[in-house]
Order: sequence, then C-alpha cells, then structure tokens
Amino acid sequence: MTKVTDLTTAVASIPPGSHVALSGFATSRCPMAFSHEVIRQGIQNLTVSQCVAGMEADIMVGAGAVDRIVYGGGSRGRSGQHYCIQRAIEAGTLMREELSSLSMTFRYLAGSLGLPFIPIRSLRGSDILKELQRSDAPVAEVLEDPFSGDEWLVLKPLNPDVAVVQVQVADEEGNAWIFGPYWDNEGQVKSSERTVVITEKLVSSEEIRRDPGRTIIQGFRVSHVVHLPYSAHPTSVYHCYDFDEAHVHLYADLTKTEEGFKEYLDKFVYSVSDHWEYLDLLGGLEYLTNLDADPVLGY
Amino acid sequence: MKMDGDYTSFELMAAAGARELRDGEIVAVGLGLPVVAAFLAKRTHAPNMTIVLELGIVDPEPIEIGTGLSDPRFWYRAKCHTSFADMLGMVLHRGLVDVGFLGGLEVDQFGNLNTTLLGDPRGKFRRFTGSGGGNDIASCAKSTVIVIRHEKRKINDAVSFITSPGYLGGGDQRKNLGLRGGPRRLITDKAIFGFDSESKKIKLESIHPNTSLEDVLTNMSFEPVMPAEVPFTEIPTAEQVRLIREEIDPENKYSG
Repeated sequence: MTKVTDLTTAVASIPPGSHVALSGFATSRCPMAFSHEVIRQGIQNLTVSQCVAGMEADIMVGAGAVDRIVYGGGSRGRSGQHYCIQRAIEAGTLMREELSSLSMTFRYLAGSLGLPFIPIRSLRGSDILKELQRSDAPVAEVLEDPFSGDEWLVLKPLNPDVAVVQVQVADEEGNAWIFGPYWDNEGQVKSSERTVVITEKLVSSEEIRRDPGRTIIQGFRVSHVVHLPYSAHPTSVYHCYDFDEAHVHLYADLTKTEEGFKEYLDKFVYSVSDHWEYLDLLGGLEYLTNLDADPVLGY
Repeated sequence: MKMDGDYTSFELMAAAGARELRDGEIVAVGLGLPVVAAFLAKRTHAPNMTIVLELGIVDPEPIEIGTGLSDPRFWYRAKCHTSFADMLGMVLHRGLVDVGFLGGLEVDQFGNLNTTLLGDPRGKFRRFTGSGGGNDIASCAKSTVIVIRHEKRKINDAVSFITSPGYLGGGDQRKNLGLRGGPRRLITDKAIFGFDSESKKIKLESIHPNTSLEDVLTNMSFEPVMPAEVPFTEIPTAEQVRLIREEIDPENKYSG
C-alpha cells in the first residue's frame, strides 16, 4: 500500500498539541521543509523531542509553534548556539524538560521496548536532575535494585505521537535507509505511535529488498512517506548534499535577534507557498548542485 | 617566562592530552583539542586505541575539520556508523570507555563542570549548550580529562550549574551515588592539575614553561592543593609538533 503523499497532507495529519520526535542533530538530517510547513500551517502547542537540538527545532521554537522541548541540550558547534531556543529559555517562554543525550536515548529505548521505566547511571549528583525533580510531573525517580540492593535512578519512557525522520532512501511503504550515523532516530521511530518519513530518494520495494540489512525504519511503523529532494536544506544529508555553510551563517546571524529572525521567517518561510518555491528562491538547481555530496567523501 | 623550543600552548596541551591515553583503550572525544590529542596518541604510542563519537562513529580519520560532531567531515573513513544507543549506551554506559574528554564554561575545585548556563538558574541567566553527551561521559567513563581555558571566571569556587559531575562536594560523595570513575586531570593553557586522592580537590601537578606559579594561581578563583615541588609540564617533542602541524591540523582549524 502506498503511503506516498505531499508534505502539506503529512503535516496536516499532526494535530496541535502533539508530541513530535525530530530526527535532526545540530546541522545534519534536520527535517527543515517539515518545520517550514508546520509554521506556514500555523500548527501550535507542539512538544518536540530529540537527543540533541537541531535547526528544525530552533526555527519552530522561534516561530512559536512549540510549547515544550524535551531534549539533551545542544548547539550548532562552531556555527553558534540555537539562538531561538536559547532566547526562549532565557525569557522563560519555552517549557523545558532537559536531560542528556544518553538519558534521552534510554527514554526512547524504554518506550520502544514497552518498559515502564529504565535505570541509568547518568544524571545523579547533577543540577540537571535537581531541575527534573522540581517539576510537577517528575520523569526521574530513585529505586532499589531488587537483585543487588543498590540505588538506581530510573527514567520515565518516551512515546511520542509521531516521529518525523529525514532519510536518504525510502520505498512507498516507508521502509527506509539511513546512511551515516543515525544517532537517536531508531529509538524515536520505534517508541512513537507512528512515523512520517521524508526522503531524498523514493525507490521501489525491490531496491529495499536487495539490501534489507540497511533498513532502519520498517514500513509498518510509517503513516506517511514524503518524497522531497533537498528537504533538509540548509543542513546536510550524508551522501546526498553538504550543509549550506553560507545559509547556516545567515540563519545564525539573523536569529541572534527577534527582529532578524522575523526577517528570516518572512523571506524564507512565509514568502513562499511550498518547498519547491523555497528551492527556487535559493537559486534553483544551479545553486543546489553546488551542495551535492562527493560520492567518496559523502559530503 | 621562558618558551622552550618551537611549539604553541595548544600543541603543548594536545601533547599533555595524548599522554593520558594508552594503547588499546577506548576514548570518547568531542570537537577541538581532545580530537587532536586523540589523533596524536593514535599516530604515536597508541595505534590500537579506539576513538568513539557519541552520535554513532567509531575510529574516524577526517581529512577536513568540521564545524561539529554533526558535520560529515568528522565521520570520514570511520570503521562503523551506528547510534547513540550503541556508543553512549552499549559502550559508555556498559563501562568500556577508559577516558572521556570534557570541556565547558567553568569548572569548580572538585572538577564539577558547567556547560548549561551562567548566572542564577532560577533567576536571570545566560543560556548555553547544556549536556549533550557530557553528563553521560562524566557519569559513566572510567576516567575523564577536563580541558579548559585558564581564567579566573572559568576555574571557579563554585559553578552556576553542575551539568557534568566531578567529585561533587568532595571525598566519597561521587562514589556513594554510584557514579563511575571521575576526573583524573584538568589541562589548561597554563598548568596541569590532578585531584587529591582523599579530599578530591584539584591539585596542581605542573605549570607550563611559558608561565609562572604566580600567573597560574592568580588566574584561578581558589587555591589548589599544592605539591611539595612544582615541576614544569613536559613539552611536546619535535615529532609531535610536526604531526599536529602537517597531518592532524594542517589548516590550524582546531587550534585557531
């Protein structure tokens, strides 16, 4: 059964208030076209989660689509902080459940396995844990290990309503390959109620069956498949295209202020009606071809 | 204030970082100086060491410097592309990481590290990166090495926020919480410190040849435990300097 649809339809399937797990990491495989469409459709009150914040979360937070972020922190490395997230946290306008990369990973893992909680060595003694324990709905408690008698911190699982995952290759059922490291994406997909796959290339199921060991996302977990090239721009998709350094810097410079962010949003999100117009605005094929990955290097 | 031979402060620190690593060990690194230290060790005395990056990379051999862990430049020629669950879970949490490198905004006298915010967490503050895998490495590695710029506001009495635990309030506090390992070394651009075996307080081990004891002590907010004698830090060899300049960081991007 084909699940291939357009981005507008896939995004419209996500009700306001949903918990959305996002597949990006800093400036890599961030579902940017998805975020742009969420902003254009005016979907709000979202909870977003990921191990390490990506640009797709930053832009949605800046645009007011997100009430709450569940994550392990993160920046864009040498390309700066996620200024929209940073500003919203400093202003107290973004609810935040902040952990670490591994504690997020374990919470997705527990959700994937259907476990009620999962023990972890991380977080103890830290102010991260103190903040979590001050919350009205704590997600971390201390328990006694029934076998050794030792005390262990246990975390509450995560089961997002939907995972939105940017991949290189998928078929129309949603069986998908991820090239390069896949950080928290497998746990996000397997702990979520359903998954929206956004793919650079759409292939036949015969192609998937030729190398099934590569399949990280199984089709039965997927509700929508969106085939949309360059849909992670300006972030990178390994073996497809490099991150757009100039554009990431432009975004970083503008998002340092509220006014600059609005300017970015007006120009690159609101002034276009869809992803194809966005690509034209960037400079079309001539511009994008310059970002294409070298097959040996992968970037 | 003497400068022996031809090396930079960055190269001296990288060589000091490399000395923390043994052949056959598993090492968790982020970006910057730790990467240079790890690649330096691997090209010299530790060819069988394994380098892991939290997002799912084993033993990369980059030929260009990236902007961060998420930049595919950093993944080039890796032996395995995998996941957080594998690297931070089945390697780090499992207890297989011998040394983890950590950096941050500020460190206190017990090696507690802050990468989250500066100011009052419940009042006015400036927000920074947060943990990422930092807290996990600090909690689960067999030992950690902290690298930080030697400034009074960065080597502080107390930190605004404990993102990654060192020895907490000192003594057995860390051990009693079930945390593995703990910081073994603090490398700055002026000195190298260890941790006192009883109190777990930062202890001066050596000062770099281009500085003085006064310079080291006036640029930190507390008095470290002092050894009977303060030697100079071992300087990098000509071969180490050559490897860094010609092979590991030819464009001077890590140190720049």
